[in-house]
Amino acid sequence: MMTKNDRPRVALVIGSGSVKCAAALGLMKVLEREHIDVDMVVGCSGGAIYASLIALGWPGQRAIDTTLKMWTRDVTAKRNTRAILQLALPWIFKFDESFGLIDDRMINRRFRDGFEGATFAQTRIPLFVTATDLYNGEQVVLSDGTIAEAVRASISIPYIFPPHKLNGRFLVDGYQSDPLPIGVAIKEGADIIIAMGFESPYQEQITSLMRYNYQMSSVTSNNLLKANFAFHNLAHHSEIIPIIPEFKHRIKLFDTDKIPYVIEEGERAAEAQLPYLKELLGK
Amino acid sequence: MSEKKQIALVIGSGGIKCAAAIGLWRVLQDENIQVDSIVGCSGGSIYGAAIASRFSTDEMQNLSKILWTSEIMQGYTENLKASKDGTLRFNERSGLVNDAVLNSTLQKVFGETKFSDLHMPFKIVATDLLSGDKVTLSEGNVFDAMRASLAIPIIFPPWEVDGRLLIDGAASDPLPIDVAIQDGAEIIIAMGFPLDYRSRFRSMTAVQEQLNSIYMNNILTSTYAFYNLAHHAEIFPVIPEFDGAVSMFDVAKIPDVIEHGAQAARKQMPHIKRLLSSL
Repeated sequence: MMTKNDRPRVALVIGSGSVKCAAALGLMKVLEREHIDVDMVVGCSGGAIYASLIALGWPGQRAIDTTLKMWTRDVTAKRNTRAILQLALPWIFKFDESFGLIDDRMINRRFRDGFEGATFAQTRIPLFVTATDLYNGEQVVLSDGTIAEAVRASISIPYIFPPHKLNGRFLVDGYQSDPLPIGVAIKEGADIIIAMGFESPYQEQITSLMRYNYQMSSVTSNNLLKANFAFHNLAHHSEIIPIIPEFKHRIKLFDTDKIPYVIEEGERAAEAQLPYLKELLGK
Repeated sequence: MSEKKQIALVIGSGGIKCAAAIGLWRVLQDENIQVDSIVGCSGGSIYGAAIASRFSTDEMQNLSKILWTSEIMQGYTENLKASKDGTLRFNERSGLVNDAVLNSTLQKVFGETKFSDLHMPFKIVATDLLSGDKVTLSEGNVFDAMRASLAIPIIFPPWEVDGRLLIDGAASDPLPIDVAIQDGAEIIIAMGFPLDYRSRFRSMTAVQEQLNSIYMNNILTSTYAFYNLAHHAEIFPVIPEFDGAVSMFDVAKIPDVIEHGAQAARKQMPHIKRLLSSL
């Protein structure tokens, strides 16, 4: 499918990877410099934040400032008292699907304020955010309503944040069904897909049950990433350009002070693929 | 004389549901279809090893009954409690279950059998706990490989093989069809088991299980879609449909599970036979 002026449709897909997803801002810098237009943006988990900022057309510095305001360590500071009681006395405080160790009121408010109530209808570039249905495990693609709600659903980090109830469904983190949702861009008719993905880091040492859980989460999500990528790459008739930034040090969940470095690595990774992308675009 | 096409049987992970492979095997024998190699993952590795050892279907059924009992979960409740209150320190070699019962049952049945003692080529898939990589085992003691592939994360302790800490093959590939493809199989009969989803969450363990099922089923769907697209020969999926959920230690349901395996296999027989006769 071609657009009016017969230009291939370009999609940008940003996978899960928490603060590392800010690398997408570096990628955008390169695309803007080269006047490469993006026709749709797809984001998953941490990638959903940056996909939304890009789709809204908020320029680099505003995007960084918004992230710094929304994503600070204190969003996970307030324990969910009910969850503690549910764990300690499950026979009294009934356990249910809305379990999460952290009280999510602060993060919900941060996303509402950060995205300034913007809706999908207001984006400059069509935006798609992915989450996972807790009950049937399937990927759910969100493309209407407020961006804050969709991003919150996509970032329901297991055990930390409770699943997010949206339109009658309990949604968990998008990476549970596909950490790099290239399939969404394919279905939406993209001809060229720029896919920025991140492997989930492994534990340096497994010293507790929780760390073992995190290790397993990385093992399974990385295998899911590989399996999905292999399939989409083979099944898609047009081009998928993977952009996988490499980081010299570990970027942790709230390392927002490292965002400038993360953006640099995103830029570097994008530059490496640029000649190929330009060739495809006939530039 | 036309050369016979190489047929591989792949039995995926699925715990007690893997007993459905007994039904599949019975149908293959009835139809006189000769299998040339087998690949097994997790629970599927037990039945793969049994078939490659030429166990009778009765022997396989008896093995199922002694294996899938709640005794293999010895210590689970106590250890779970101890891990929560901090008295049990968890590390990469830990598991919530004391694996002595599982080990002794499997050792009684398979003893010191080596892969090279088996009647046909057989491979087992496990996962490297530290690197997340898929690991294919086809040498040494069958028991070691099987025990590694069966190590359900957090429940059973990992198993060390050749210096690597290995866990459940399902964590990297619940239905490892690619092992058969790489070994040159032209016809692949793949029996797989999607995990059941819950409709209620009454404990942290239930939430963990659900999140785990979501991962595994999504890996199963994408690897299957990929292999199906990538492979130039034929893959016949045999996915038994059970009446309701089959819980891990439901030994009373084993005959039923076997029957559903046979039913699912019979559905594919006309297609498999047509392909075999056309070659």
